Amino acid sequence: MPFTLQTVDEIASLHGEPDWLRKRRRSAFEAFERLPIPSRIDEEWRRTDVSSLDVAKFSEFEHRNGAAPAEPLEGVAGSTTMRGSEFESVRLDPELERAGVILEPISVAAQKHPELVQTLLFTQVRPDRDRFAALHAAFFADGTFLYVPDGVVIEKPIVGQVFSAEGGTAVLPHTLIVAGRGSQFNYLDEYLSPADEAAGYKSGSAELFLGEGARVGYVAVQKWGRNAWHLADQRARLDKEASLRLFNVTLGARFSKTRVEASLQGEGSDAELKAIYFASGEQFFDFHTLQDHQVGNTRSDLLFKGALQDVARTVYAGLIRIEKGAARSDAYQANRNLVLSDHAKATSIPMLEIDNNDVRCTHGATVGPVDPISMFYLQSRGIPEATARRMIVQGFFGEVLERIPFEHARRLVETELEARLG
Amino acid sequence: MATVPKVDVGTDYKEKYGFFVPEDFVFKAKRGLNPEIVKEISWMKKEPEWMLKMRLRSLEIFRKKPMPTWGADLSVIDFENIFYYLKASDKQSTSWEDLPPDIKKTYDRLGVPEAERKFLAGVSAQYESEVVYHSLQKELTAKGVIFTDTDSALRDHPELFKEYFGTVIPPADNKFSALNTAVWSGGSFIYVPKGVRVEIPLQAYFRINAENMGQFERTLIICDEGSFVHYIEGCTAPIYTTDSLHSAVVEIIVKKGARCRYTTIQNWSTNVFNLVTKRAMAYADATMEWVDGNLGSQITMKYPSVYLMEPGAKGDVLSVAFAGKGQHQDAGGKMIHVAPNTTSTITSKSISKGGGRTSYRGHIKMYPDAKNSKSFVKCDALLLDDESRSDTYPYNDVDAENVTLGHEATVSKVSDEQLFYLMSRGITRNEAETMIVNGFIEPFTKELPLEYAVELNRLIQLEMEGSVG
Repeated sequence: MPFTLQTVDEIASLHGEPDWLRKRRRSAFEAFERLPIPSRIDEEWRRTDVSSLDVAKFSEFEHRNGAAPAEPLEGVAGSTTMRGSEFESVRLDPELERAGVILEPISVAAQKHPELVQTLLFTQVRPDRDRFAALHAAFFADGTFLYVPDGVVIEKPIVGQVFSAEGGTAVLPHTLIVAGRGSQFNYLDEYLSPADEAAGYKSGSAELFLGEGARVGYVAVQKWGRNAWHLADQRARLDKEASLRLFNVTLGARFSKTRVEASLQGEGSDAELKAIYFASGEQFFDFHTLQDHQVGNTRSDLLFKGALQDVARTVYAGLIRIEKGAARSDAYQANRNLVLSDHAKATSIPMLEIDNNDVRCTHGATVGPVDPISMFYLQSRGIPEATARRMIVQGFFGEVLERIPFEHARRLVETELEARLG
Repeated sequence: MATVPKVDVGTDYKEKYGFFVPEDFVFKAKRGLNPEIVKEISWMKKEPEWMLKMRLRSLEIFRKKPMPTWGADLSVIDFENIFYYLKASDKQSTSWEDLPPDIKKTYDRLGVPEAERKFLAGVSAQYESEVVYHSLQKELTAKGVIFTDTDSALRDHPELFKEYFGTVIPPADNKFSALNTAVWSGGSFIYVPKGVRVEIPLQAYFRINAENMGQFERTLIICDEGSFVHYIEGCTAPIYTTDSLHSAVVEIIVKKGARCRYTTIQNWSTNVFNLVTKRAMAYADATMEWVDGNLGSQITMKYPSVYLMEPGAKGDVLSVAFAGKGQHQDAGGKMIHVAPNTTSTITSKSISKGGGRTSYRGHIKMYPDAKNSKSFVKCDALLLDDESRSDTYPYNDVDAENVTLGHEATVSKVSDEQLFYLMSRGITRNEAETMIVNGFIEPFTKELPLEYAVELNRLIQLEMEGSVG
């Protein structure tokens, strides 16, 4: 299935998608054909080299191929499981279903709930942003749609898992989350494939719409195989008094570029954007973040913490934008990089664009090795060097890690960190 | 009682002080940019062949290079409508009466002497502090220090000149360094021999030559091993010019153990595009300090940089930008760490008022060899009203092991608590705001020679009253 208009139509027909969605895919395809491959002349791509990425090589879609179904997750209110491009299961607590919560594949929701899906899908993650965003919107396989009605509070998390196992394929899941007024819940996306999986093209974009006063926790754990290309957008729109806690965990892929963006459109809204990343081997991670304060009395707090070892490279570029009328806003942005080897490279570009004087904005960035004084202290207490180092790195991540609202995800990350630190 | 005759410095400065402008110049300025103009400039200056070749090559580079698409909007510059070379006497076209009233008023308020005003305003071609200059020159010559304008240096010290010219900022570095190399004129040339410390700051002011504030000035400073010099360029008073483009290049070489400080205070009139390339190479244990104040102009793009070439080199940028109505100050600094154990700091203070925009743009680069290096960047921005804007664009690239890099920035307004406190002591709101702004830039002011610091504070006061620009 090459990346052609015919394939776009085939996917739409296969899902039995309504006309509006087929049109949306087609217009995204036009953008894909029109937009050039980003080059290093573009500011956003200056340090991010995609010249060796030939998406056409990965134009096959991945099917379930008889894989054993995943074990149902413990302690969750609902879950969805995708294998490659296909849904394996959708589970939701029947009580929540009665309360009006919708957890469905987007392809199903597009037909059953157009009033929600049609108005919102791809309005925050814009297909015309660049060629890769267009590719994702034109060919996205399917994905999880979650709607939580006004006032509904869900205690346990809802988890969406996407597994991939084949390599050489395109795995393009999309998540659409709509939080009603005053609703409260935590949602977790997991992107998983075996570490040694052959190279493939993966996205994993998410759009979040937070209604007035909604309180949403969103976690995305990216642990694709170590040869994958991963390009994704995670973007949230916050209405009045809404509160978002977003955690991005990036561990996998050879090349990973993620945009994490919060658009604060309602007074009193509050976005907390946190990330941890650990790049080792030849991994390259790129993060572009945006805290867009469009109205006043809004608050955002960003903390991206990363460790690098071997010959890994990371790029962090973040922007706080305070628009003209956004008085009494409060924005914070920090990027901390711990460089654990001689040849790892970290770039950190924390940017501010402030168009209003009645605001409080601070940002900071650091790049540095493990603090020798802390190392000395631990070693002087008889702790071997390797252990001391591991303890310091774990402590570095701990601050963010302990705030991930789901035990299962925390364990997944902790296990991976331990394996990397040896 | 003897009466002191009152001298009207303004009207008959030339007669009183024996000041004259040669009238038999042969070169007529033309607008536009082409190889003929460049050849004429070189011919006028009786330059050696290599310089002419370099100019022509640079012109080619300038034509090929695209306009920068980042930073300020430069698309409005019409390169064909600019005089690329004017003899001093051509500049007499403006008269004192034609000056914008706000410029004249600022001179009054700052208490700038009349003769100096006319020089600054471009009405008079020259301003001399002859006595000071001569005694200084004598002292410098005794020590082997060369302090002259760049054109004379090419003529009088050709070997030294050729060895260093264009080595720190090659013509192909950027579009505007290419333009400058093609049409440069004037600027300062300083050579400080080994181990010589020049105790008093050298100022472009002291020089007799008219071309020290040209449009495309070119400055070259060489500090030989273990020497020290402090060079001061510009002044706080606004410089009125009808030229819309100012594009200077400043190259500095600081050899082993030497220290160089370069202080700039520039206050161009608000019609000027000020696009300047400033760079220094600091070798083993050398120190380079840029103290850079940007007050005027319509658009300024200026990022003084230090290449830390050998172990122990140290770079420092201290920069202040003030953007009022219609102004965009895009300034900052660059520190390129090439060698181990090098350190750098950048401190930027910016103030935006009346819809003005300040941007900090900086780059810290640690190459793989720059082990055990440290860099710290601090940017503070003060927004005085809700029409103004402040941006911070710091680029930090670390490719080296065991280095420490920190960046911090804050954006704030004048705090209500501070205002309330001052006003409760009977100070008017405007005075209170002025005091707070002056306090905000104090780390900068205290690095300036006293007379500059005083003038800067007065200027801030004027800007705050809204009586300027």
